[in-house]
Amino acid sequence: MRRNLAAARLAVLSQLEYRVNFLVDAVIQPVLASGVEVLMWSVIMAGLATDTLGGFGKEYYLAYALWANFVGRVTTNWMYEFTMLDEIETGKVNAVLVRPISYYEFFLSQFLGYKLVIGLISFSFPALACYLMGASLHYERIPLMILFCAYYLIFVHTVSFCVACLAFFMNRASSFTGIKNMAIWVLAGEMIPLDLYPEPFKNFMIHSPFASGVYVPVGFITGRFGYEFLWQSLISVTIGIVVFGLLARFLWRRGLLAYTGTGA
Amino acid sequence: MDLLQRFCDNLFMSVIIETRNLSRVYKTYRREEGALGALKGFFKRQHELKMALKPTTLSIEQGQIIGLVGANGAGKTTLLKILSGLIYPSEGEVSVLGFKPFERKSEFLRQISILLGQKAQLWWDLPPAESFNLLTHIYQLDPAQAKSDWQNLAERLNCTDQLRVQLRRLSLGERMKMEIIGSLLHRPKVLYLDEPTIGLDVLAQNTIRRFLAEYVKQYQPTIILTSHYMDDISRLADRLLLISRGEIVYDGRVEDFVAHAEKNLQLDIKSEETDFEDVIHRFFEKESGRRPTGGTLPT
Repeated sequence: MRRNLAAARLAVLSQLEYRVNFLVDAVIQPVLASGVEVLMWSVIMAGLATDTLGGFGKEYYLAYALWANFVGRVTTNWMYEFTMLDEIETGKVNAVLVRPISYYEFFLSQFLGYKLVIGLISFSFPALACYLMGASLHYERIPLMILFCAYYLIFVHTVSFCVACLAFFMNRASSFTGIKNMAIWVLAGEMIPLDLYPEPFKNFMIHSPFASGVYVPVGFITGRFGYEFLWQSLISVTIGIVVFGLLARFLWRRGLLAYTGTGA
Repeated sequence: MDLLQRFCDNLFMSVIIETRNLSRVYKTYRREEGALGALKGFFKRQHELKMALKPTTLSIEQGQIIGLVGANGAGKTTLLKILSGLIYPSEGEVSVLGFKPFERKSEFLRQISILLGQKAQLWWDLPPAESFNLLTHIYQLDPAQAKSDWQNLAERLNCTDQLRVQLRRLSLGERMKMEIIGSLLHRPKVLYLDEPTIGLDVLAQNTIRRFLAEYVKQYQPTIILTSHYMDDISRLADRLLLISRGEIVYDGRVEDFVAHAEKNLQLDIKSEETDFEDVIHRFFEKESGRRPTGGTLPT
Protein backbone atom coordinates (compact mmCIF):
# COMPACT_ATOMS: atom_id res chain seq x y z
CA MET A 1 0.00 0.00 0.00
CA ARG A 2 2.91 2.34 0.84
CA ARG A 3 4.35 1.92 -2.62
CA ASN A 4 0.95 2.62 -4.21
CA LEU A 5 0.58 5.82 -2.24
CA ALA A 6 4.15 6.76 -3.19
CA ALA A 7 3.38 6.17 -6.89
CA ALA A 8 0.18 8.22 -6.58
CA ARG A 9 2.18 10.99 -4.95
CA LEU A 10 4.72 10.79 -7.77
CA ALA A 11 1.90 11.38 -10.29
CA VAL A 12 0.59 14.43 -8.47
CA LEU A 13 4.07 15.90 -8.01
CA SER A 14 4.95 15.29 -11.68
CA GLN A 15 1.82 17.10 -12.83
CA LEU A 16 2.33 20.01 -10.46
CA GLU A 17 5.72 20.63 -12.11
CA TYR A 18 3.74 21.92 -15.11
CA ARG A 19 1.25 24.39 -13.61
CA VAL A 20 -0.37 25.58 -16.85
CA ASN A 21 -0.98 22.02 -18.08
CA PHE A 22 -2.54 21.17 -14.74
CA LEU A 23 -4.90 24.17 -14.86
CA VAL A 24 -5.88 23.44 -18.46
CA ASP A 25 -6.64 19.82 -17.60
CA ALA A 26 -8.50 20.47 -14.34
CA VAL A 27 -10.36 23.68 -15.10
CA ILE A 28 -10.05 25.45 -18.45
CA GLN A 29 -10.82 22.55 -20.79
CA PRO A 30 -13.94 21.24 -18.97
CA VAL A 31 -15.23 24.79 -18.26
CA LEU A 32 -15.10 25.69 -21.96
CA ALA A 33 -16.62 22.38 -23.08
CA SER A 34 -19.40 22.64 -20.50
CA GLY A 35 -20.13 26.22 -21.56
CA VAL A 36 -20.65 25.08 -25.14
CA GLU A 37 -22.91 22.20 -24.07
CA VAL A 38 -25.00 24.35 -21.73
CA LEU A 39 -25.50 26.79 -24.57
CA MET A 40 -26.43 23.99 -26.96
CA TRP A 41 -29.02 22.46 -24.60
CA SER A 42 -30.45 25.90 -23.83
CA VAL A 43 -30.99 26.49 -27.56
CA ILE A 44 -32.49 23.03 -28.06
CA MET A 45 -34.89 23.41 -25.15
CA ALA A 46 -35.87 26.94 -26.24
CA GLY A 47 -36.70 25.64 -29.74
CA LEU A 48 -38.97 22.84 -28.49
CA ALA A 49 -42.74 23.21 -28.47
CA THR A 50 -42.96 21.43 -25.08
CA ASP A 51 -41.09 21.98 -21.79
CA THR A 52 -39.71 18.46 -21.66
CA LEU A 53 -37.53 16.22 -23.79
CA GLY A 54 -37.54 12.46 -23.23
CA GLY A 55 -39.54 13.09 -20.07
CA PHE A 56 -37.04 15.54 -18.54
CA GLY A 57 -37.10 19.31 -18.25
CA LYS A 58 -34.62 22.09 -19.03
CA GLU A 59 -33.03 22.09 -15.51
CA TYR A 60 -32.15 18.44 -15.82
CA TYR A 61 -30.39 18.93 -19.16
CA LEU A 62 -28.54 21.99 -17.89
CA ALA A 63 -27.31 20.08 -14.86
CA TYR A 64 -26.35 17.12 -17.06
CA ALA A 65 -24.49 19.36 -19.52
CA LEU A 66 -22.66 21.07 -16.66
CA TRP A 67 -21.49 17.85 -15.04
CA ALA A 68 -20.97 15.59 -18.07
CA ASN A 69 -17.83 17.30 -19.30
CA PHE A 70 -16.19 17.49 -15.90
CA VAL A 71 -16.94 13.86 -15.07
CA GLY A 72 -16.02 12.81 -18.62
CA ARG A 73 -12.61 14.52 -18.38
CA VAL A 74 -11.87 12.76 -15.11
CA THR A 75 -12.99 9.31 -16.28
CA THR A 76 -11.08 9.34 -19.57
CA ASN A 77 -7.50 8.22 -19.92
CA TRP A 78 -5.38 9.99 -22.50
CA MET A 79 -2.17 10.93 -20.76
CA TYR A 80 -1.25 7.71 -18.96
CA GLU A 81 -2.29 5.55 -21.89
CA PHE A 82 0.02 7.56 -24.18
CA THR A 83 2.77 7.32 -21.55
CA MET A 84 2.47 3.52 -21.30
CA LEU A 85 2.37 3.20 -25.11
CA ASP A 86 5.45 5.38 -25.45
CA GLU A 87 7.34 3.54 -22.72
CA ILE A 88 6.69 0.14 -24.27
CA GLU A 89 7.53 1.38 -27.77
CA THR A 90 10.77 3.08 -26.75
CA GLY A 91 11.95 0.69 -24.03
CA LYS A 92 11.48 3.09 -21.12
CA VAL A 93 9.33 0.31 -19.67
CA ASN A 94 12.63 -1.34 -18.64
CA ALA A 95 12.88 1.04 -15.68
CA VAL A 96 9.78 -0.54 -14.12
CA LEU A 97 10.32 -4.10 -15.38
CA VAL A 98 13.45 -4.48 -13.27
CA ARG A 99 11.81 -3.20 -10.10
CA PRO A 100 9.63 -5.17 -7.66
CA ILE A 101 6.33 -3.59 -8.72
CA SER A 102 4.08 -4.61 -11.59
CA TYR A 103 3.68 -2.24 -14.51
CA TYR A 104 -0.11 -2.41 -14.23
CA GLU A 105 -0.05 -1.57 -10.53
CA PHE A 106 2.52 1.20 -10.93
CA PHE A 107 0.45 3.07 -13.49
CA LEU A 108 -2.89 2.35 -11.80
CA SER A 109 -1.58 4.01 -8.62
CA GLN A 110 -0.38 7.03 -10.57
CA PHE A 111 -3.60 7.27 -12.56
CA LEU A 112 -5.85 7.09 -9.48
CA GLY A 113 -3.72 9.57 -7.55
CA TYR A 114 -3.71 12.12 -10.33
CA LYS A 115 -7.40 11.76 -11.16
CA LEU A 116 -8.43 12.05 -7.52
CA VAL A 117 -6.73 15.44 -7.24
CA ILE A 118 -8.07 16.61 -10.62
CA GLY A 119 -11.57 15.38 -9.71
CA LEU A 120 -11.72 17.11 -6.33
CA ILE A 121 -10.63 20.41 -7.86
CA SER A 122 -12.68 20.34 -11.03
CA PHE A 123 -15.95 18.97 -9.51
CA SER A 124 -16.25 22.05 -7.34
CA PHE A 125 -16.92 24.16 -10.46
CA PRO A 126 -20.11 22.44 -11.71
CA ALA A 127 -21.33 22.05 -8.11
CA LEU A 128 -21.04 25.80 -7.63
CA ALA A 129 -22.55 26.54 -11.05
CA CYS A 130 -25.53 24.25 -10.32
CA TYR A 131 -26.07 26.03 -7.03
CA LEU A 132 -25.98 29.50 -8.66
CA MET A 133 -28.19 28.46 -11.61
CA GLY A 134 -30.64 26.54 -9.44
CA ALA A 135 -30.18 23.39 -11.54
CA SER A 136 -31.43 20.12 -10.05
CA LEU A 137 -28.73 18.32 -8.07
CA HIS A 138 -28.55 15.87 -5.13
CA TYR A 139 -25.54 17.30 -3.30
CA GLU A 140 -25.60 14.53 -0.67
CA ARG A 141 -24.88 11.97 -3.40
CA ILE A 142 -21.63 13.61 -4.59
CA PRO A 143 -19.24 11.70 -2.23
CA LEU A 144 -20.70 8.34 -3.32
CA MET A 145 -20.48 9.45 -6.96
CA ILE A 146 -16.76 10.23 -6.49
CA LEU A 147 -16.14 6.77 -5.01
CA PHE A 148 -18.06 5.20 -7.89
CA CYS A 149 -15.93 7.14 -10.41
CA ALA A 150 -12.75 5.97 -8.64
CA TYR A 151 -13.90 2.35 -9.03
CA TYR A 152 -14.72 2.96 -12.69
CA LEU A 153 -11.18 4.31 -13.18
CA ILE A 154 -9.83 0.81 -12.47
CA PHE A 155 -11.87 -0.36 -15.45
CA VAL A 156 -10.62 2.56 -17.58
CA HIS A 157 -7.01 1.82 -16.67
CA THR A 158 -7.45 -1.88 -17.48
CA VAL A 159 -8.80 -1.03 -20.95
CA SER A 160 -5.90 1.42 -21.44
CA PHE A 161 -3.45 -1.25 -20.36
CA CYS A 162 -4.82 -3.57 -23.08
CA VAL A 163 -4.28 -0.83 -25.69
CA ALA A 164 -0.79 -0.13 -24.35
CA CYS A 165 0.14 -3.82 -24.65
CA LEU A 166 -0.46 -3.57 -28.40
CA ALA A 167 2.77 -1.54 -28.56
CA PHE A 168 4.66 -4.81 -27.99
CA PHE A 169 3.43 -6.04 -31.36
CA MET A 170 3.09 -2.94 -33.54
CA ASN A 171 4.34 0.60 -34.04
CA ARG A 172 1.99 3.53 -33.62
CA ALA A 173 -0.46 1.60 -31.48
CA SER A 174 -1.37 5.03 -30.12
CA SER A 175 -3.80 5.47 -33.01
CA PHE A 176 -6.10 3.08 -31.12
CA THR A 177 -6.27 5.51 -28.21
CA GLY A 178 -8.11 8.10 -30.31
CA ILE A 179 -10.59 5.59 -31.71
CA LYS A 180 -11.18 3.99 -28.31
CA ASN A 181 -11.72 7.29 -26.51
CA MET A 182 -14.09 8.50 -29.24
CA ALA A 183 -16.13 5.32 -28.81
CA ILE A 184 -16.15 5.74 -25.03
CA TRP A 185 -17.20 9.36 -25.46
CA VAL A 186 -20.36 8.17 -27.22
CA LEU A 187 -20.92 5.02 -25.12
CA ALA A 188 -20.52 6.93 -21.84
CA GLY A 189 -23.14 9.52 -22.83
CA GLU A 190 -20.86 12.51 -22.49
CA MET A 191 -22.37 14.35 -25.45
CA ILE A 192 -25.95 13.07 -25.34
CA PRO A 193 -27.63 11.37 -22.36
CA LEU A 194 -27.95 7.66 -23.17
CA ASP A 195 -31.72 7.52 -22.63
CA LEU A 196 -32.24 9.75 -25.66
CA TYR A 197 -30.87 6.98 -27.95
CA PRO A 198 -33.42 4.72 -29.68
CA GLU A 199 -33.88 1.07 -28.69
CA PRO A 200 -32.17 -1.42 -28.86
CA PHE A 201 -29.01 0.76 -28.58
CA LYS A 202 -30.31 2.51 -25.50
CA ASN A 203 -30.73 -0.67 -23.46
CA PHE A 204 -27.34 -2.02 -24.50
CA MET A 205 -25.51 1.25 -23.85
CA ILE A 206 -27.10 1.92 -20.47
CA HIS A 207 -26.10 -1.52 -19.20
CA SER A 208 -22.57 -1.55 -20.62
CA PRO A 209 -19.74 -0.69 -18.19
CA PHE A 210 -18.84 2.34 -20.32
CA ALA A 211 -22.09 4.07 -19.22
CA SER A 212 -20.49 4.38 -15.79
CA GLY A 213 -18.04 6.89 -17.22
CA VAL A 214 -20.56 9.76 -17.43
CA TYR A 215 -24.20 8.74 -17.73
CA VAL A 216 -24.45 6.76 -14.47
CA PRO A 217 -22.59 9.13 -12.10
CA VAL A 218 -24.19 12.26 -13.60
CA GLY A 219 -27.63 10.64 -13.75
CA PHE A 220 -27.21 9.61 -10.10
CA ILE A 221 -26.41 13.09 -8.75
CA THR A 222 -28.94 14.83 -10.98
CA GLY A 223 -31.67 12.49 -9.73
CA ARG A 224 -32.39 10.69 -12.98
CA PHE A 225 -32.26 7.40 -11.11
CA GLY A 226 -31.59 6.13 -7.61
CA TYR A 227 -29.22 3.88 -5.68
CA GLU A 228 -30.48 0.62 -7.20
CA PHE A 229 -29.29 1.50 -10.68
CA LEU A 230 -25.92 2.57 -9.26
CA TRP A 231 -25.41 -0.89 -7.71
CA GLN A 232 -26.39 -2.53 -11.01
CA SER A 233 -23.80 -0.41 -12.78
CA LEU A 234 -21.22 -1.39 -10.18
CA ILE A 235 -21.75 -5.04 -11.16
CA SER A 236 -21.44 -4.14 -14.84
CA VAL A 237 -18.14 -2.33 -14.17
CA THR A 238 -16.87 -5.29 -12.14
CA ILE A 239 -17.60 -7.66 -15.02
CA GLY A 240 -15.80 -5.22 -17.34
CA ILE A 241 -12.73 -5.20 -15.07
CA VAL A 242 -12.63 -9.02 -15.02
CA VAL A 243 -13.05 -9.39 -18.79
CA PHE A 244 -10.53 -6.69 -19.76
CA GLY A 245 -8.27 -7.80 -16.90
CA LEU A 246 -8.01 -11.28 -18.39
CA LEU A 247 -7.37 -9.79 -21.83
CA ALA A 248 -4.69 -7.47 -20.38
CA ARG A 249 -2.98 -10.40 -18.65
CA PHE A 250 -2.94 -12.38 -21.89
CA LEU A 251 -1.62 -9.46 -23.97
CA TRP A 252 1.03 -8.55 -21.40
CA ARG A 253 2.40 -12.10 -21.21
CA ARG A 254 2.46 -12.48 -24.98
CA GLY A 255 3.98 -9.02 -25.28
CA LEU A 256 6.83 -9.81 -22.92
CA LEU A 257 7.62 -12.93 -24.92
CA ALA A 258 7.92 -10.79 -28.04
CA TYR A 259 9.73 -7.93 -26.29
CA THR A 260 13.32 -7.26 -27.24
CA GLY A 261 14.15 -4.69 -24.58
CA THR A 262 14.23 -1.91 -27.13
CA GLY A 263 16.75 0.85 -26.70
CA ALA A 264 18.52 -0.63 -23.71
CA MET B 1 32.32 -8.56 12.42
CA ASP B 2 31.95 -7.27 8.87
CA LEU B 3 35.46 -8.39 8.03
CA LEU B 4 34.75 -11.84 9.42
CA GLN B 5 31.56 -12.04 7.38
CA ARG B 6 33.42 -11.04 4.22
CA PHE B 7 36.17 -13.50 4.93
CA CYS B 8 33.64 -16.31 5.30
CA ASP B 9 31.81 -15.22 2.14
CA ASN B 10 35.04 -15.27 0.18
CA LEU B 11 36.09 -18.58 1.68
CA PHE B 12 32.87 -20.29 0.69
CA MET B 13 32.18 -18.54 -2.60
CA SER B 14 29.07 -19.81 -4.24
CA VAL B 15 27.97 -19.65 -7.83
CA ILE B 16 25.45 -16.84 -8.21
CA ILE B 17 24.97 -16.66 -11.95
CA GLU B 18 24.86 -19.75 -14.06
CA THR B 19 23.90 -20.25 -17.68
CA ARG B 20 23.89 -23.36 -19.79
CA ASN B 21 23.66 -23.11 -23.59
CA LEU B 22 21.84 -19.81 -23.17
CA SER B 23 20.98 -18.20 -26.48
CA ARG B 24 18.78 -15.51 -27.92
CA VAL B 25 17.51 -15.17 -31.46
CA TYR B 26 15.87 -12.02 -32.80
CA LYS B 27 13.47 -12.07 -35.71
CA THR B 28 14.05 -9.24 -38.15
CA TYR B 29 12.88 -8.49 -41.65
CA ARG B 30 14.84 -7.29 -44.61
CA ARG B 31 13.50 -5.52 -47.67
CA GLU B 32 14.86 -4.28 -50.94
CA GLU B 33 15.46 -0.58 -51.51
CA GLY B 34 12.99 1.79 -53.16
CA ALA B 35 9.26 1.97 -53.68
CA LEU B 36 9.01 -1.48 -55.27
CA GLY B 37 10.86 -3.00 -52.33
CA ALA B 38 8.52 -1.25 -49.92
CA LEU B 39 5.48 -2.50 -51.86
CA LYS B 40 6.81 -6.07 -51.94
CA GLY B 41 7.58 -5.85 -48.24
CA PHE B 42 4.03 -4.70 -47.56
CA PHE B 43 2.56 -7.89 -49.00
CA LYS B 44 5.34 -10.40 -48.34
CA ARG B 45 7.88 -10.02 -45.57
CA GLN B 46 11.28 -11.64 -45.86
CA HIS B 47 11.90 -12.55 -42.24
CA GLU B 48 15.28 -13.65 -41.03
CA LEU B 49 16.58 -14.87 -37.72
CA LYS B 50 19.57 -13.18 -36.14
CA MET B 51 21.50 -15.01 -33.46
CA ALA B 52 22.26 -12.20 -30.99
CA LEU B 53 23.67 -14.57 -28.40
CA LYS B 54 25.08 -17.96 -29.39
CA PRO B 55 24.76 -20.85 -26.90
CA THR B 56 26.66 -19.59 -23.86
CA THR B 57 27.67 -21.48 -20.76
CA LEU B 58 28.87 -19.34 -17.89
CA SER B 59 29.44 -19.59 -14.20
CA ILE B 60 29.97 -16.50 -12.03
CA GLU B 61 30.78 -16.68 -8.37
CA GLN B 62 29.64 -14.41 -5.58
CA GLY B 63 31.59 -11.17 -5.34
CA GLN B 64 33.22 -11.45 -8.76
CA ILE B 65 33.44 -8.40 -10.99
CA ILE B 66 33.16 -9.33 -14.60
CA GLY B 67 34.14 -7.01 -17.42
CA LEU B 68 32.03 -7.84 -20.45
CA VAL B 69 33.64 -6.31 -23.50
CA GLY B 70 32.78 -6.34 -27.17
CA ALA B 71 31.94 -4.12 -30.11
CA ASN B 72 28.50 -2.64 -30.75
CA GLY B 73 26.04 -5.42 -31.57
CA ALA B 74 28.34 -8.11 -30.16
CA GLY B 75 25.66 -9.34 -27.74
CA LYS B 76 26.73 -7.71 -24.46
CA THR B 77 23.46 -5.96 -23.74
CA THR B 78 21.41 -8.97 -24.86
CA LEU B 79 23.21 -11.08 -22.25
CA LEU B 80 22.61 -8.44 -19.56
CA LYS B 81 18.95 -8.13 -20.53
CA ILE B 82 18.47 -11.88 -20.16
CA LEU B 83 20.30 -12.00 -16.83
CA SER B 84 18.23 -9.12 -15.45
CA GLY B 85 14.92 -10.60 -16.64
CA LEU B 86 14.12 -7.92 -19.20
CA ILE B 87 13.85 -10.43 -22.02
CA TYR B 88 13.32 -14.15 -22.38
CA PRO B 89 16.08 -16.39 -23.68
CA SER B 90 15.27 -18.32 -26.86
CA GLU B 91 16.91 -21.48 -25.57
CA GLY B 92 19.05 -22.75 -22.74
CA GLU B 93 18.97 -22.39 -18.98
CA VAL B 94 19.71 -19.43 -16.76
CA SER B 95 19.78 -19.00 -13.02
CA VAL B 96 20.62 -15.84 -11.06
CA LEU B 97 20.59 -16.04 -7.24
CA GLY B 98 18.64 -19.26 -7.69
CA PHE B 99 15.86 -17.58 -9.67
CA LYS B 100 14.90 -17.74 -13.32
CA PRO B 101 15.29 -14.02 -14.17
CA PHE B 102 12.51 -13.90 -16.78
CA GLU B 103 9.93 -14.91 -14.14
CA ARG B 104 10.71 -11.53 -12.54
CA LYS B 105 9.73 -12.53 -9.02
CA SER B 106 9.78 -9.69 -6.50
CA GLU B 107 12.32 -11.48 -4.29
CA PHE B 108 14.67 -11.66 -7.26
CA LEU B 109 14.13 -8.07 -8.38
CA ARG B 110 14.78 -6.82 -4.85
CA GLN B 111 18.29 -8.27 -5.01
CA ILE B 112 19.43 -7.07 -8.42
CA SER B 113 19.90 -3.78 -10.18
CA ILE B 114 20.63 -2.81 -13.74
CA LEU B 115 22.04 0.51 -14.83
CA LEU B 116 21.63 1.24 -18.50
CA GLY B 117 24.03 4.03 -19.37
CA GLN B 118 22.06 5.22 -22.36
CA LYS B 119 18.63 5.08 -20.75
CA ALA B 120 17.20 7.16 -17.91
CA GLN B 121 15.59 4.99 -15.25
CA LEU B 122 14.68 7.73 -12.82
CA TRP B 123 11.65 9.93 -13.38
CA TRP B 124 12.39 12.66 -15.86
CA ASP B 125 10.01 15.30 -14.52
CA LEU B 126 11.01 15.02 -10.87
CA PRO B 127 14.05 15.97 -8.81
CA PRO B 128 16.14 12.85 -8.02
CA ALA B 129 15.33 13.14 -4.30
CA GLU B 130 11.65 12.48 -5.12
CA SER B 131 12.58 9.47 -7.27
CA PHE B 132 14.68 8.08 -4.43
CA ASN B 133 11.72 8.46 -2.06
CA LEU B 134 9.57 6.48 -4.49
CA LEU B 135 12.25 3.78 -4.85
CA THR B 136 12.43 3.57 -1.06
CA HIS B 137 8.77 2.54 -1.01
CA ILE B 138 8.98 0.29 -4.06
CA TYR B 139 11.85 -1.67 -2.46
CA GLN B 140 10.16 -1.45 0.97
CA LEU B 141 13.23 0.07 2.60
CA ASP B 142 13.32 1.85 5.93
CA PRO B 143 12.70 5.52 4.91
CA ALA B 144 15.13 7.06 7.43
CA GLN B 145 17.92 4.60 6.59
CA ALA B 146 17.33 4.95 2.84
CA LYS B 147 17.42 8.74 3.04
CA SER B 148 20.67 8.64 4.96
CA ASP B 149 22.04 6.20 2.34
CA TRP B 150 21.16 8.30 -0.70
CA GLN B 151 22.46 11.45 0.95
CA ASN B 152 25.68 9.64 1.73
CA LEU B 153 26.01 8.30 -1.82
CA ALA B 154 25.35 11.80 -3.22
CA GLU B 155 28.10 13.24 -1.02
CA ARG B 156 30.55 10.65 -2.25
CA LEU B 157 29.63 11.42 -5.85
CA ASN B 158 29.78 15.20 -5.29
CA CYS B 159 26.23 15.80 -6.43
CA THR B 160 24.36 16.87 -3.28
CA ASP B 161 23.45 20.24 -4.80
CA GLN B 162 21.58 18.61 -7.66
CA LEU B 163 19.34 16.35 -5.59
CA ARG B 164 16.44 18.79 -5.71
CA VAL B 165 16.77 19.88 -9.34
CA GLN B 166 14.42 18.35 -11.92
CA LEU B 167 16.23 15.40 -13.56
CA ARG B 168 15.69 16.71 -17.09
CA ARG B 169 17.61 19.89 -16.20
CA LEU B 170 20.77 18.06 -15.12
CA SER B 171 23.84 17.49 -17.29
CA LEU B 172 24.60 13.99 -18.58
CA GLY B 173 27.29 13.43 -15.94
CA GLU B 174 25.05 14.62 -13.09
CA ARG B 175 22.20 12.48 -14.38
CA MET B 176 24.43 9.42 -14.50
CA LYS B 177 25.50 9.98 -10.90
CA MET B 178 21.82 10.12 -9.87
CA GLU B 179 21.10 6.95 -11.88
CA ILE B 180 23.94 5.22 -10.03
CA ILE B 181 22.52 6.27 -6.64
CA GLY B 182 19.07 5.03 -7.71
CA SER B 183 20.47 1.67 -8.73
CA LEU B 184 22.43 1.17 -5.49
CA LEU B 185 19.83 2.40 -3.02
CA HIS B 186 18.56 -1.09 -2.14
CA ARG B 187 22.13 -2.51 -1.95
CA PRO B 188 21.72 -5.11 -4.68
CA LYS B 189 23.60 -8.38 -4.47
CA VAL B 190 23.95 -8.49 -8.24
CA LEU B 191 24.60 -5.35 -10.23
CA TYR B 192 24.59 -5.04 -14.00
CA LEU B 193 26.29 -1.90 -15.27
CA ASP B 194 25.82 -1.30 -18.98
CA GLU B 195 28.17 1.45 -20.18
CA PRO B 196 28.04 3.55 -16.99
CA THR B 197 30.55 6.12 -18.28
CA ILE B 198 29.48 6.43 -21.90
CA GLY B 199 29.46 9.98 -23.24
CA LEU B 200 30.90 11.49 -20.04
CA ASP B 201 33.88 13.84 -19.83
CA VAL B 202 37.13 12.57 -18.32
CA LEU B 203 36.47 14.19 -14.94
CA ALA B 204 33.03 12.61 -14.57
CA GLN B 205 34.37 9.25 -15.79
CA ASN B 206 37.06 9.34 -13.13
CA THR B 207 34.64 10.31 -10.36
CA ILE B 208 32.34 7.44 -11.26
CA ARG B 209 35.19 4.91 -11.59
CA ARG B 210 36.62 5.95 -8.23
CA PHE B 211 33.20 5.78 -6.60
CA LEU B 212 32.40 2.35 -8.04
CA ALA B 213 35.79 1.01 -6.93
CA GLU B 214 35.11 2.19 -3.36
CA TYR B 215 31.56 0.83 -3.42
CA VAL B 216 32.77 -2.57 -4.61
CA LYS B 217 35.33 -2.72 -1.80
CA GLN B 218 32.74 -1.82 0.79
CA TYR B 219 29.75 -3.93 -0.24
CA GLN B 220 31.26 -6.62 -2.49
CA PRO B 221 28.33 -7.13 -4.87
CA THR B 222 28.63 -9.40 -7.89
CA ILE B 223 28.97 -7.11 -10.89
CA ILE B 224 28.82 -7.50 -14.63
CA LEU B 225 30.17 -4.36 -16.24
CA THR B 226 30.10 -3.56 -19.93
CA SER B 227 32.03 -0.65 -21.31
CA HIS B 228 33.73 0.72 -24.38
CA TYR B 229 36.49 2.03 -22.13
CA MET B 230 39.10 -0.53 -21.15
CA ASP B 231 40.04 1.76 -18.28
CA ASP B 232 36.65 1.06 -16.66
CA ILE B 233 37.27 -2.64 -16.95
CA SER B 234 40.91 -2.65 -15.84
CA ARG B 235 40.17 -0.58 -12.74
CA LEU B 236 37.17 -2.54 -11.57
CA ALA B 237 37.00 -6.02 -13.04
CA ASP B 238 38.95 -9.09 -12.06
CA ARG B 239 37.67 -11.31 -14.84
CA LEU B 240 37.25 -10.43 -18.49
CA LEU B 241 34.78 -11.84 -20.96
CA LEU B 242 35.32 -10.86 -24.57
CA ILE B 243 32.27 -11.23 -26.71
CA SER B 244 32.23 -11.15 -30.47
CA ARG B 245 29.24 -11.73 -32.75
CA GLY B 246 27.21 -13.28 -29.97
CA GLU B 247 29.94 -15.60 -28.76
CA ILE B 248 32.18 -15.46 -25.69
CA VAL B 249 35.62 -15.74 -27.26
CA TYR B 250 37.84 -15.06 -24.25
CA ASP B 251 37.34 -15.71 -20.58
CA GLY B 252 40.31 -14.86 -18.39
CA ARG B 253 42.09 -12.37 -16.16
CA VAL B 254 41.93 -8.70 -17.12
CA GLU B 255 45.62 -8.02 -16.35
CA ASP B 256 46.71 -10.86 -18.60
CA PHE B 257 44.70 -9.56 -21.50
CA VAL B 258 45.77 -5.92 -21.05
CA ALA B 259 49.45 -6.84 -20.67
CA HIS B 260 49.29 -9.06 -23.71
CA ALA B 261 47.48 -6.52 -25.84
CA GLU B 262 49.92 -3.76 -24.93
CA LYS B 263 53.07 -5.84 -25.27
CA ASN B 264 52.37 -8.06 -28.24
CA LEU B 265 49.78 -6.13 -30.20
CA GLN B 266 51.12 -2.63 -29.46
CA LEU B 267 47.63 -1.54 -28.51
CA ASP B 268 47.13 1.26 -26.02
CA ILE B 269 43.71 -0.01 -25.09
CA LYS B 270 43.35 1.89 -21.83
CA SER B 271 43.80 5.41 -23.11
CA GLU B 272 41.08 5.75 -25.70
CA GLU B 273 37.74 4.44 -26.81
CA THR B 274 38.72 1.18 -28.38
CA ASP B 275 37.33 -0.58 -31.41
CA PHE B 276 37.01 -3.91 -29.65
CA GLU B 277 36.06 -5.80 -32.79
CA ASP B 278 39.46 -4.75 -34.15
CA VAL B 279 41.23 -5.67 -30.90
CA ILE B 280 39.59 -9.07 -30.84
CA HIS B 281 40.39 -9.58 -34.53
CA ARG B 282 44.06 -8.72 -34.01
CA PHE B 283 44.18 -10.72 -30.82
CA PHE B 284 43.15 -13.87 -32.65
CA GLU B 285 45.09 -13.07 -35.77
CA LYS B 286 48.20 -13.07 -33.64
CA GLU B 287 47.13 -16.39 -32.35
CA SER B 288 46.69 -17.80 -35.89
CA GLY B 289 42.95 -17.97 -35.62
CA ARG B 290 42.78 -20.10 -32.46
CA ARG B 291 40.12 -18.91 -30.07
CA PRO B 292 41.24 -19.29 -26.50
CA THR B 293 38.91 -19.70 -23.55
CA GLY B 294 39.57 -20.05 -19.86
CA GLY B 295 42.27 -17.43 -19.84
CA THR B 296 44.63 -19.01 -22.35
CA LEU B 297 46.74 -16.36 -24.02
CA PRO B 298 48.69 -16.64 -27.24
CA THR B 299 52.41 -16.73 -26.71
